[in-house]
Parts: sequence; structure tokens; C-alpha cells
Amino acid sequence: MLAGFDWSVIPASLPFLGQGLLYSLQLTVVAMTGGVIFGTLLALARLSGGPVLAGAAAVYVNTMRSIPLLMVILWFFLIIPLLTGKPMGAERSAMITFTAFEAAYYSEIMRAGIQSVSRGQVNAGYALGMTYAQTMMHIVLPQAVRNMLPVLLTQTIVLFQDTSLVYAIGAKDLLKAAEITGRNYNRPVEMYLFVAVIYFAICFSLSLLVRRLNRKIAIVR
Amino acid sequence: MAMIEIRHVFKWYDKFQVLADCSTQVEKGEVVVVCGPSGSGKSTLIKCVNALEPFQQGEIVVDGVSVGASATNLPKLRARVGMVFQHFELFPHMSIVDNLTIGQVKVLGRPRELAREKGLNLLARVGLSAQAEKFPGQLSGGQQQRVAIARALSMDPICMLFDEPTSALDPEMINEVLDVMVELAAEGMTMMVVTHEMGFARKVANRVIFMDGGRIVEDDAKDTFFGNPRSERAQQFLAKILHH
Ligand SMILES: Nc1ncnc2c1ncn2[C@@H]1O[C@H](COP(=O)(O)OP(=O)(O)OP(=O)(O)O)[C@@H](O)[C@H]1O
Ligand SMILES: [Mg+2]
Repeated sequence: MLAGFDWSVIPASLPFLGQGLLYSLQLTVVAMTGGVIFGTLLALARLSGGPVLAGAAAVYVNTMRSIPLLMVILWFFLIIPLLTGKPMGAERSAMITFTAFEAAYYSEIMRAGIQSVSRGQVNAGYALGMTYAQTMMHIVLPQAVRNMLPVLLTQTIVLFQDTSLVYAIGAKDLLKAAEITGRNYNRPVEMYLFVAVIYFAICFSLSLLVRRLNRKIAIVR
Repeated sequence: MAMIEIRHVFKWYDKFQVLADCSTQVEKGEVVVVCGPSGSGKSTLIKCVNALEPFQQGEIVVDGVSVGASATNLPKLRARVGMVFQHFELFPHMSIVDNLTIGQVKVLGRPRELAREKGLNLLARVGLSAQAEKFPGQLSGGQQQRVAIARALSMDPICMLFDEPTSALDPEMINEVLDVMVELAAEGMTMMVVTHEMGFARKVANRVIFMDGGRIVEDDAKDTFFGNPRSERAQQFLAKILHH
């Protein structure tokens, strides 16, 4: 059955696919970085803010976690032009949407991470004269991230897979690039198979890394 | 004025009273040992001194600064009060020497090199120079607690608070920590020490406070306390731990 395939389209389309992959990776890195930072702030708000701040953060997180990502992507892309009067590029729109969406998930991970650091550590920071911000920055968050590293990475793998959803608004990611070249060469099956292999290779090697981290943590404990 | 003044302090967790009308003071250069049965409020009282625990009524004044006053800059106050915890609480993600410099650099604004030099000097003083680049998890409990004392000293504190510094240690490590504390007392450090090490109390304490049910029921000169405590509870308590 494989005999009917024409794999020669792959080398020819590599540069274009490369551009798509680059965007997918950029989107992953931006949404991860922004999501972890924004998510950490949300977690801190929920854990130590007053009732208003904690409530607002909780509503945000729970809302985002109850809506399918695809809908958030579409809504944001469609609503922004209505609000601002001018369209925003699909690529940029997706970066903002993903950051805002992933923040909700990363915030739950960071919340667990922050809670995994004992009260005694916080007191030790305070006892040295550190402010709340210094204690978080130098004592609590580094340990929270370290404790949660495997879970944060797993979430990032999911995030990388989810970036393929941006093809719905026409952003040129890896999947979109495959679709376009597949159409141009009239070889869609080969192209979709090939990018599936790329997604798999990246996600699988990351999950191997997670497994190694988990084993290392088990040893340390 | 005393270095630490505790005046009529009351504290509740919701409706549960943990401290009731606690008053005492620690003069400059004095060593005061606090003892009492589990749950009597010793940790709570000592944590109130550097505002790690809030209290609802009364007043605590450290070197002229009122701990409970809303205008008080708590980080600034705490930076001058050293604290040593039962479970050491070294920062596990930092090397030993970084544990000794972080406060100096981030809180006191000392240049990193100077802070490092001071940290290494203190480490030498507690006999742990060889461990500078290791991580807390690689040290024994006794070593960790000595580092924790050095970390508190790195801030040049005006007084030191100890909350059961040896009760989480294996017996053979207790003395190495007590030795450092005895030395500190001999140098004139003002110290408030929650401990059941009565040998330490006999050797260096000026006064001994006995707490029970959130109250200070005994606050005596050392000789009075060991010679002839007035309250029955203190007598029973002493009899129990001295026969251990
Ligand atoms: N966060 C809290 N919420 C409610 N009750 C508390 C809290 N922390 C301490 N308590 C209670 O306050 C009382 C005094 O506690 P504290 O830790 O000061 O006692 P302690 O004398 O240090 O005892 P130990 O010798 O066991 O360390 C205890 O009855 C304890 O159960
Ligand atoms: Mg205690």
C-alpha cells in the first residue's frame, strides 16, 4: 500500500514546513513563558490576595478551564476586530490567546507547587528580613518550580500539541504548512503523515525527559 | 530599656486562646530559657517576638520598636532579630555559602564579595568550612543547624531567638549545636531560647521561664528555678524531664 505514496514531495517542502514548525515552537515558548509568569501571578493572587483578588483570579482560572481552547481561539480572533476596528494577525492573536488560556492551567500547577513549600521555609525567609516579594522570588518559587518541573513539562507537551488548533484561524503553524504543501503538490496524505511523525518525535522525546526527571526526583526524595 | 519587652500579650486562634497575659523581658546580653509542656505556647510566644505570628492584645517591644504597631517596618525589624528553627529551614535549593549570603545581599544590600567573605568566616566559626559548596541535604542535622545559626549571625543580629534548636537532632549531634550556642552566650549575645536542654539552661541561662496553658507561670532567676520553683506544675515538669 505504501507503494502508492510519493515521498519525494517531502524534501521539496521542507523549508516551508520548517517555517511552520518554527512558528509552532515560538507559539509554544511564548505561551509557556507568558503562561507560567501570568499563571504564577494568578496562583499568588488566589493564595494570598484579599477575597476580591482571590475571587477574581479563581473566576478567571475556572472560566478558562471550562471552555474548549478552540472556542477561545476563535472568539478572540473574531472579537478583537469588532472591538478595535482593525484585524489582528492570526499569528499574534493566537499567541495572546494561548498565553491567556495556558495561564489558567499553569496557575493550578504553580498553586500546588507553592503549597508544596513548607510554612517553615516561608518563615525562614521572613525571619531574615525578606519582604513577601523577596521570600516568594528567592525562596518559594524556585522550590515550587523545581517540585513541579515534571508536571510543568507535561503541560507544555500538551500545549505544543494544542498549538495545531490555530490552523482554524489560518495561522501558519506546522499543521497549516503541511496542509498548504499537501494541497500544492496534491499529496495531502504524505504531508499529514510526515507532520504526524514530527509531532510524535518532539512530544515523545519530551515525555522521555519527563520520565527521567521523575525518576531523578524519586531518588532525591 | 530591655532588649525584648513582652507586656500583657494575649493571642487567640479563633476562639482558642494560645497566649494569656504573657509578660516578661530580656535584657541586653541576657540568656532566657523558655520551657514547658508541649502545646503550652512556647513557639507561639517566641514567634510573636519577630512577628511571625500576630497577637491580638498587649505589646512587644524589641530594641525600642513596637512589634505590633501598624507603622512598624516588619522586614527591617526582623532583619535585626536572628531566628533558629527546630527543623533548621536551610534553603535546600541553595549551596551552604549561598544560604549564608542571600540575606546579607538581598536584605542588607551588602556587596556579594563582602557577604561571601563574611559567610565563609562564620562557617569557619561553626567548624564547617569544608562544607561551603555543598547543599543542605548533604549535611547531617547537627551540621545543618550550625549553618542555620551562622545564617542568622550573618545579619549581625541584635538578639537571637531559638525555637527548640536541638529537639529534631539525634542525641549525638545535640552537643555540637549547644556548644555553638554556649559560645554565643559567652560573647554576650542576647538570647531567648525555647529548649528542654536543662544542662544548657544551667550553664548559660540568666533566667528560666516556665509556660503552661499559654501562661507564663514561672519566671525566675536560674538558681531559683532549679533550686526551688514555686509552682507545682513546674516542679512536676522538672522532675519529669530531669529523670529522663
Ligand atoms: N495555626 C494554628 N491554629 C490553631 N491552633 C494552633 C496553631 N498553631 C498552634 N496552635 C495551638 O496553639 C497551642 C500552642 O502551640 P505552640 O506551638 O506554641 O506550643 P509549644 O509550646 O511550642 O509546643 P511544642 O513543645 O509541641 O512545640 C497548641 O495547643 C497548638 O495546638
Ligand atoms: Mg514548639
